[in-house]
Amino acid sequence: MFWRMITRTLVRQKSKMLMIAFTVVLGVSLSTAMMNVMLGVGDKVNRELKVYGSNITVRHKEAALMNDLYGLSTGLGVTDKFLFEEDVLKIKSIFWGFNIIDFAPLLDGRATVNGEEIPVIGTWMEKHAALSTGEEVNTGLKALRNWWHGTLKGEWLGAADDGFVMIGAPLAERLGLKVGDSVTLTHEIAQKTVVVKGIYDDGGAADGQIIGTLKMAQELMNLPGKVSKIEVSAITTPDNDLARKAAQDPRSLSPDEYETWYCTAYASAICHQLQEVVRDGVARPVRQVAESEGTILNKTTLLMILITILSSIGSALAISNLITASVIERSQELGLLKALGAHNWQIALLVLVEVMLTSLVGGAFGYALGIGFAQIIGQTVFGSYIEIAQMVIVIIAVILFFVTLLGSIPAIRYLMNLKPTEVLHGK
Amino acid sequence: MANKRRKMYLRMVTSSLIRRASRLIIAVLAIAIGATILSGLVTIYYDIPRQLGREFRSYGANLLLLPKGDARISRDDLTRVREVLGADRIVGLAPYRYQTVKINEQPYIIAGTDLPEAKKNSPFWYVEGDWGSAAKPDHVMVGREIANTLDLHIGDTFKVLGVRWGQAAEASGQNLSAEENRGRDEGDQNFSRRFTVCGIVTTGGAEEGFIFADIDMLDELVGDSFRGDVVECSVVAGAEEMDKMTAELENRLPGIQPRAVRRLTQSQDIVLGKLQALVLLVTVVVLIITMISVSTTMMAMVAERKREIALKKALGAENRFVIGELLGEGVLLGIIGSGAGVFLGFEFATRVSLNVFGRAINFPWLIVPVTIVVFVVITVLASILPVRKVMDIHPAIVLRGE
Repeated sequence: MFWRMITRTLVRQKSKMLMIAFTVVLGVSLSTAMMNVMLGVGDKVNRELKVYGSNITVRHKEAALMNDLYGLSTGLGVTDKFLFEEDVLKIKSIFWGFNIIDFAPLLDGRATVNGEEIPVIGTWMEKHAALSTGEEVNTGLKALRNWWHGTLKGEWLGAADDGFVMIGAPLAERLGLKVGDSVTLTHEIAQKTVVVKGIYDDGGAADGQIIGTLKMAQELMNLPGKVSKIEVSAITTPDNDLARKAAQDPRSLSPDEYETWYCTAYASAICHQLQEVVRDGVARPVRQVAESEGTILNKTTLLMILITILSSIGSALAISNLITASVIERSQELGLLKALGAHNWQIALLVLVEVMLTSLVGGAFGYALGIGFAQIIGQTVFGSYIEIAQMVIVIIAVILFFVTLLGSIPAIRYLMNLKPTEVLHGK
Repeated sequence: MANKRRKMYLRMVTSSLIRRASRLIIAVLAIAIGATILSGLVTIYYDIPRQLGREFRSYGANLLLLPKGDARISRDDLTRVREVLGADRIVGLAPYRYQTVKINEQPYIIAGTDLPEAKKNSPFWYVEGDWGSAAKPDHVMVGREIANTLDLHIGDTFKVLGVRWGQAAEASGQNLSAEENRGRDEGDQNFSRRFTVCGIVTTGGAEEGFIFADIDMLDELVGDSFRGDVVECSVVAGAEEMDKMTAELENRLPGIQPRAVRRLTQSQDIVLGKLQALVLLVTVVVLIITMISVSTTMMAMVAERKREIALKKALGAENRFVIGELLGEGVLLGIIGSGAGVFLGFEFATRVSLNVFGRAINFPWLIVPVTIVVFVVITVLASILPVRKVMDIHPAIVLRGE
């Protein structure tokens, strides 16, 4: 009898139940979309922030950092200690290798052009390499110099462009060089004639530099297989107290703390692991990039969390509101039931089961729709899919259950106090 | 007669609202939720570029001012730069003066700057110990590299030697005695001073190879007036605004070469653009869904009044009059609900802004009338649509409950 009544209501009151289900669909889809976006936003924004360039540099442990700040002065601490080119690809093999988006080795050198001494950098602009693990990587400095893209004249250096260089715009102007011109670089007895392939505008020290391939620079400097530093761009977790403690001295951690630290993508943990694979290397986070990334990331995530909370509260209230409204609306029918001798609890149970069943159906549709919304947001804003977090289902289900229950309570209380005669009389 | 009718109309509208107090609360609540979300999110959306733009200043100085040729930047130049850029846009503006000094006969660079401004410019510096200040000019900060090389700790002292401005250093002679060479180092053309280390700077960049001191103290030590080798500015501006500013600076200050740090300005535009698009899209999705759910609640509310309307019709009310009554109710509900909602939305936006960015929010006052109008329209539409059908049917059928 109970189930028959339920099915009858659901069928007869189709339009009203559809309306509840519809609101539940909207509310649940909104919360699902927002929660998924919120959980995925950290990763996405982190990738976007990679346009700022590398956040970790690896140098030789005895090489001094005391080079020029703005490229205005030169001289101090010129280094003769080098890292090995063969270690560079090992970077991808560390525990957090998957988080390393991009990396490029750089060899600093100097060459004379028209009697003027100019810094020459050798690097991988674009590099495709197969790792010993069978994995393939595409990397290079191109992705670490996003701000050159806008105003670049000519082309980027390719992997095999040993006879070409890129040059900073102010330097090119001073030397009277244009794209396609050739220039002779002299270093001690070595000499190379190369063609200018691209002219970039950096707004920093690189404006006064010539950039060639690593091979070209190594031959020019007579430093085969050597690099001065490696720039690494990694996705990191913003620092917390543990990370700061570890950055001071990893040995000061307890074994448990050490494990947590090692297995979290803190900049300091990634640095520690890089040092394990790069011989004589010291990896340091570039605080300007690493620290600011953390700030922006934390703020964005917090903002999204607050918006998610607001919209979830909003949809929860809307759902419970509608349920209250639609149950009160049916007072006449329920009054009749009471008049026919139904107990309060029976009516309450009837109403609850009806509403719960409707919510369940609405929730299922809403979840599917919400995933769709999340993907639309992911595709439009970040051009990639947002990963679906399984726990969202559980959270939404629990919230929906309580929202439906809470929404029914005022209506049920109202029903309890109902005087059948009054209702039926139509007051 | 007309007066009487109007009185009756008002009484019907108000009494129908008052009589159904519990339903009224539900309706107002629904509208208020919608209005809170609308006004709150739109306010946040409008304020995001300003707020996040400031957050991006944590990447440090995005504008460098270099002197042209042999000229030096003077204090007057700094005041004029401040005027051109506008005080509210400047996060930090720190002049730097670089001076080569000797510590233990090794060359180092001491950077004189306005330390509090440098701190605002570079929030990413990790300083162990304290920042130096103009009040204690003998307390300086040293870069991590220098601290390691010289084995300096906080509280240690060291002595720097250098050549006064406009004087040439005398090289030590090979065939002079040690005594005489020392004399050359400590003669009138030189300065020397003992400093205490108050902080050790870690940045992961070139700053670790410098000693940071107060610029006035350095000027006095070197013995000439203020000279800026470079000025670092942290300015809240996108790439386009930055281009305009550099052009204007170049016009107004001929001795200065402004250079935007393209790495920061360009990248900021890219990332900020994405974040803004994210908030926009989220706002649009939330708003659409909220609007729909507010109108479904309203529709459910009104649908139950079919009987009442039919009764009125049976008593001889015209369709025009019934619709007029619903309209009046809708407007009243819309205004009350959205009025409360706007207030809550403002509260929400302020809380978010304070929590996330630690700053007050700019409330666009236009949002108040817009929200109210939007929700009055939604309420009215949602009230009239479900009863439209009732208008055309015979009252008796509805009253019988079919």
